[in-house]
Amino acid sequence: MTALAVLALAWLGGCLNLAFSSTMIQPDWALALLLGSLLAHRGNWIWVLPGVALHDLMLHWSPWVCLPLVAAIPPVLIYLDDRLGAGLPQRMVLLLMAIFVLAPWGWGFAELLLTATLSVSIWYFAAKQYVYAA
Amino acid sequence: MMQSRSRSWLVAAIILGVLFFVASRAPLGSWTMLAASPALDALYAPVRWWQSFSLWFIDSQTLQARFEVVQQRSQQQAALIQEAGSLREENRQLRKILDISDIPGYRWHAAKVLGRSPDMMSQRILLQVKGVDTDDVIVSSEGLVGLVDSQMGAHATVRTIFDASVAVPVTIPGSTLAALLRGQGDQLIVSFVPLENAPKQGKVLYTSGAGGLFPPGIAVAEITAVRSVPGQLFAEVDAAPIAHWQRDNWLVVASHEKHDTP
Repeated sequence: MTALAVLALAWLGGCLNLAFSSTMIQPDWALALLLGSLLAHRGNWIWVLPGVALHDLMLHWSPWVCLPLVAAIPPVLIYLDDRLGAGLPQRMVLLLMAIFVLAPWGWGFAELLLTATLSVSIWYFAAKQYVYAA
Repeated sequence: MMQSRSRSWLVAAIILGVLFFVASRAPLGSWTMLAASPALDALYAPVRWWQSFSLWFIDSQTLQARFEVVQQRSQQQAALIQEAGSLREENRQLRKILDISDIPGYRWHAAKVLGRSPDMMSQRILLQVKGVDTDDVIVSSEGLVGLVDSQMGAHATVRTIFDASVAVPVTIPGSTLAALLRGQGDQLIVSFVPLENAPKQGKVLYTSGAGGLFPPGIAVAEITAVRSVPGQLFAEVDAAPIAHWQRDNWLVVASHEKHDTP
């Protein structure tokens, strides 16, 4: 249910990006939602990765934009958590890397910053939901 | 536990591999953008409602002023259409005298911009338009924009001239230049410009009509830099597009007129 809701919102976010990209500065809604969900619970990769693939195809006509980096996040997190212990720094670095990979694709700094801010907020609220559920 | 985890990663890797293979073979991006078109229509609906609603609160003096501006523009356009008609007739007669075969005709119609890719240069565009085909030419009021990539129902996706897959034969009117303009993401490069024939910075390139895909005489790009490379026959030429489609709400489609072959 949560997966479907997040994917539907990500789809709507992608449509917002397409519709109003030239009229206002806006974050990459879909990527922020999907990254926030992935970082809140890395087991979400199973539905987050197809969502990111759809995001890349819809906005950039290529699956090579964010997907390779986002696909690497769960195994890298497992490795780093084993080595360093579960923590925020590695998650924050991976989040920023996944977002700033959009810079060469013509996204402005303000838009990327908005995406990072939105993603951290979604990550915080989603993580809280998982803690309550547990 | 470890075995099931590695199995799920293997499944994910296979899915990704299949996705990359399919994406490289089929225009998945274009289809995804087209699939979003009903949602974009719905997103624009409140904007349209607001525009219709706000018309009720415009006073008659403003409406009168707007009407006069539109009337003035309409008169100017009527004069231009008349001039274009006489030039077309003159062109037809000259072609007849010089025995030059006519280029294939184009049908021009307006298209509303429904969406754009969010990159700064808006490399992909979604149009609301009926009766277009793949490879129909898209033009703005300033110059060439790109080509129709695919269409579905009343919607079509456009690859702009920034796309590396679009190559435009260009020339400078009155010169012997026959070059090829190609997109490279966020800039344009002009190939096959002979060093001795290299145009100066600021010159405007127009479609030459070679190949028959693009109608001749449409402004495409302005030359921004010309560099000579030692030992090379051709100059390295950079250009910037003439059209600024990032903010245009309406574009024009030049559809190739279909000629029935006997």
